[in-house]
Formats: sequence, C-alpha cells, structure tokens
Amino acid sequence: MNKTNAAVPKKAVRNKIHIGGYSFDIVNVTFLVICCLLVLLPFMRVLAISLSSSRMIDRNMVSIWPRELNVKGYEIVFSNVTIYRAYGWTLLYSVVYTLISVAMTACLAYPLSVSDFVLKKPISVLLLITMFFSGGTVPSYLLIRNLGLKNTLWALVLPGAVSAWNTFLYRAFFKGISHEIREAALIDGAGDFRILVSIIAPLSKALFATFSLFAIVGMWNSYFAAMLYIEDQSRQTIQNILRSIVYTSVTATFSDASLPMTNGAVNALNVQYACLVATIAPLLVIYPFIQKYFEQGMQVGAVKG
Amino acid sequence: MTGTASTKLIGKRRQNPILRFFTLLYKQRTLVALCILPMALVFVFSYGPMYGVLIAFKNYNAGKGVWRSQWTGFGNFQWFFENVNSVQIILQTLKVGVLSLIFTYPMPIILALSLNEVAKKGFKRTVQSISYIPHFISVVVICTMLNEFGSVNGLFNDVRALFGLDRVNMNAGTNYFMLFYIGSAIWQGAGWGSIIYLSALSNVDTSLYDVANIDGANRFQKIRHIALPAILPTTTIVLILNSGNILSQDFTKILLMMNNTNRMDLEVISTYVYRIGIVTGEFDHGTAVNLLVSLVSLILVLTTNRIVKSIDPEQAMF
Repeated sequence: MNKTNAAVPKKAVRNKIHIGGYSFDIVNVTFLVICCLLVLLPFMRVLAISLSSSRMIDRNMVSIWPRELNVKGYEIVFSNVTIYRAYGWTLLYSVVYTLISVAMTACLAYPLSVSDFVLKKPISVLLLITMFFSGGTVPSYLLIRNLGLKNTLWALVLPGAVSAWNTFLYRAFFKGISHEIREAALIDGAGDFRILVSIIAPLSKALFATFSLFAIVGMWNSYFAAMLYIEDQSRQTIQNILRSIVYTSVTATFSDASLPMTNGAVNALNVQYACLVATIAPLLVIYPFIQKYFEQGMQVGAVKG
Repeated sequence: MTGTASTKLIGKRRQNPILRFFTLLYKQRTLVALCILPMALVFVFSYGPMYGVLIAFKNYNAGKGVWRSQWTGFGNFQWFFENVNSVQIILQTLKVGVLSLIFTYPMPIILALSLNEVAKKGFKRTVQSISYIPHFISVVVICTMLNEFGSVNGLFNDVRALFGLDRVNMNAGTNYFMLFYIGSAIWQGAGWGSIIYLSALSNVDTSLYDVANIDGANRFQKIRHIALPAILPTTTIVLILNSGNILSQDFTKILLMMNNTNRMDLEVISTYVYRIGIVTGEFDHGTAVNLLVSLVSLILVLTTNRIVKSIDPEQAMF
C-alpha cells in the first residue's frame, strides 16, 4: 500500500501492522498488470496484422508487432466510398436516435417527477410492465414490417427510444432538483413546458450528456437491427460492412481489392483488420474524453438499482 | 367564517371523483401533453409486440393479420416439442446460460476487490481505464477477432505452439466454443462490471480499516470482513438481474460464431427463434418458443428474488 506516505499517522498504523502486506501487494499488482496485458494484446495483434506484408502474414511471422510495414489494406478501405457512406449513415442513425431518445425520455420523466401528477400511477405501471415482459423478436419484426418501416431510419431509431429503465433514472434525477424550483417557477407564472425547457433541462446537462453517449455508442456498435431492417447495402451501418467482408467476402464489398489480393500485394486479413480498426477507431479516439461520463452513468444506475 | 370554510370543504369532498379527475387532468394538461408522444412510442413499440404475441396461439396468416388468423390453441408449442430436436436445444441453452453465469459473474467482483487494495491512485486509474476499453467494442469486432485468433495461424494457436501443442482450427466444431464465448464475455465485461462494485467500495467508512489494523487483521481478513460485506447488496442485485438472462444469451454473438461445422450443435433457443421465426418465416412457431422463454425468464427472476428474500429480506429487490 502507500509505503512512502508515512507522514500521515493513520496510514502509518495501517502499514506497520498489515501482516504479509508486501507480498500481497506484489501478487495483486502482478495480477492487475496481467489483466491489462490481456486486454491490450488482442488490439496489438490486430494492428500488427493490418500493417504487415502479405508475405509475412502467410508465413505466420507476425505476432504482435508489424513486420515489413504495409499500409495497402488501409489504402483499399479508405479509398473506397463504402466506408465513408457507412460512417455517414451510422452517424446519422446514432445522432437521430440519441436526440429522439433523450428528448422523449425527458418529456416523459418530467411529469412523472411531479408528485401530484394525475396520471403518475397508471403510466408508471405501464412502464414497469415493459421491464419484465416483452413481445420478443418475432412480433417486433412483424410490427416494423407491417408499419412499413423496413429500410427506413425509423426502424432503427424508434423502437428503443423510450425505455422504462431510463425513464425511471431520469425521473430520479429530476426529483433531485425540481421540487422547490418548480413551485417557485409556478408562482412566477411559468408553465410546466417552460419549466422543463428553461429550468430543468439546463440543470440536467450532465445527465443528458451521459445518456447521449450511451445511446451513440450503443447505436454505433449494433448490427442486428440494421441487418434485419436495412436491405439497401448503400445505407448499411459500419458494423455490417465489417460483418460482410469478414463473413462473406472482402472483394464483394471492396472490389478494388481483388487485383492486389491476387498478385499478393495485400492479404484478405490486411483489409479485414484495416476495416476493423476503422470501425473501432472513432470510439477509441473519443474514449478518453467520454470515460468520465460513462462511469457517472453506471453509478446513477447503481444508486437506482 | 369557519362555518363557510367547512361547508366548502365538505362540498369538495363530495365532488364526483370522476369529475375531479378530469378537472385535475385539465389543470395539468401541459404535463399530460408532454407524456403523449413518448407514451405513443411505448404503446406502439412495446405493447404492439405484446399484442403480436397472440400469434403464438394462432396459425398466422400475414394476409389476415393477427386478429383474424385462426386460433390453434397450444398447437405451436406442441409443434416445437414434437418436430424439432427441442431437448438438445434446451439443454444447450441451459448449458451456455448457466456456465456463463458461473464464470462471468464473479470476475467483476474479483477485479473490484483487487483494485480496491491498490493504494497508488494513478496505477488504479490506469488499470480501470484500460479494463473498460473492451466494453466499447462491438460483437462483430469481437467475433472477427475470435475468428482469426482461433484459426490455424491465429494468436491462440501461437500461444498453443509456445507450449508445444499442435495447431488446430479452434473455430471448427464445438470444442472451443464455450471457452471462446465465456472468455470473450469476461474480456468485455469484467472491467465495466467492476464499476458498480467499486462505487460501493468507495463508500466504506475508512475507520473500519483502522480498527481492523489495531486488531491485527491481515489483508485477506480485511477483504473478507470489510470489503465483501460492503458490496454484498450490489452483488445480490446483479445476481437477481443476471438470473433472468440464463435463457436469453447473447444470441447475436452465437449467430456470428456459428459455421457449417457446428451450426446445429450451437443452436440455442434464441438463435432458433431467429432462424425459424424470421429467416424461415414461420412467425407463429418462432413466437411460441419466444413466449416460453420470456415466461420462464420472468419466473427465474421472481424465484431468485424469492430465494434471496427468504435468506435475507433486506437484500431482495422487490
């Protein structure tokens, strides 16, 4: 533990007495370092393969460091319009989903946070039921098909927009701020809509930020809904582009890969892994900035749970 | 004055409750209006499919729609148990669900307890930040990695070769499926899952540790008697919530891990529902199986909660 900080008396007591403490620390830290390596090694492997020459990959000479640097895989992925189109559509799905989800959830959670709201009980019960029972994959699929939402953005965006769990979390947050403020604003002549927009919303920026990020990352990473509902390949999400080049064929998606692949300039793995990096890179780039909000969000959930 | 006030009060009390409800409703019309759109979404996309569940008891005909299709009672359920290798699918589902729960559930707890023993703030933060990264990786990316790592020239076979084992295609067949499925779940979820335990641990009163030190407790005793009791309520809630998922695995991951050598053996209920209900288009059969799973999952959550309640009423969720 904190061995250097002997100036603080309490810590000193703690250090002097713990029996077998140092060996415990050594084992513990080693364990955590191994955990970190296990997390990072697969990423290094992916980067190494994506950047190595076709020859080295075929001979199985690449472990976790690139051999004979080769960026052809990335050239193929990023010279193709497919990847930019997929980025664009995925971003659009994510942003629209996030806006609708946050706005609708806030609109529903605010009335529920008002203690004498007439419909509080029935609406809460209706929401609670959806937490424990759902229609399931097939009826949802039929519903979306019958509503004519297939192949539209709405099929991805609307079904998950309002969830009971999130609504209850928002409500708990609003309850923490709104009680006296709402009464004061009502006396000043503000309506409830006005209170929500110009008092509650600005005070809930942290909440909105957290849930927006959850929504964006969730949408960015989902493939199943888009696989079911988006038939038009030119509007497919980034995850499904990756899925199709890995599980069907590279050349079906990136036609300009066929020549370099036959003459050995590039390996299919080069292209697949370059595409994989292209899929996760945007999230990893923003990760350090959003990590704080995610932890907060998890803790909001923990308090509620 | 008091007389008029009390008659007024009595008058209010005698007011028709229905009338009073509508007066309040009118008074709170802005609040009601705010609820309309979100509740419309809930009705269409949550309650709509619940109505659609009716086709589990019908011979669904897309032209006739849900209501006018013919009732068949429990025919669709019977069909599942008679015509499909349902026993194998159910057993595989239980196997995947129970083993996943057993192996993935303790990992975040171990990680949190281990992190809690680290005194250097910087080191702790770094480990935490790294451990969360896999949570942000999609299932397609995970399966792409597994696909290559398990192949003959893949990373896992490099490790096998290091120990003198021969190279095999680990993606073929079912030998390595459980290892890959559970291992990747731990890789992805352990760090992220530890957040709630760490936040519970951060609320522990530090004076407890000082007292334990004076009593000469060693590190394991401190973990056993201070840290573990502190996270017990959280562990219970997570267990209750997870128990409901035993039957509903991450089927999108299993779908991606299937190939021609193992498709039939890896089939679990949720992939089966997808294959029969959506790919093949036997909507009614798929819905019936799905309904069974939903009901059993609900029962599982309620039972676990009941068991927890009988052991310690304070830990139960509801």
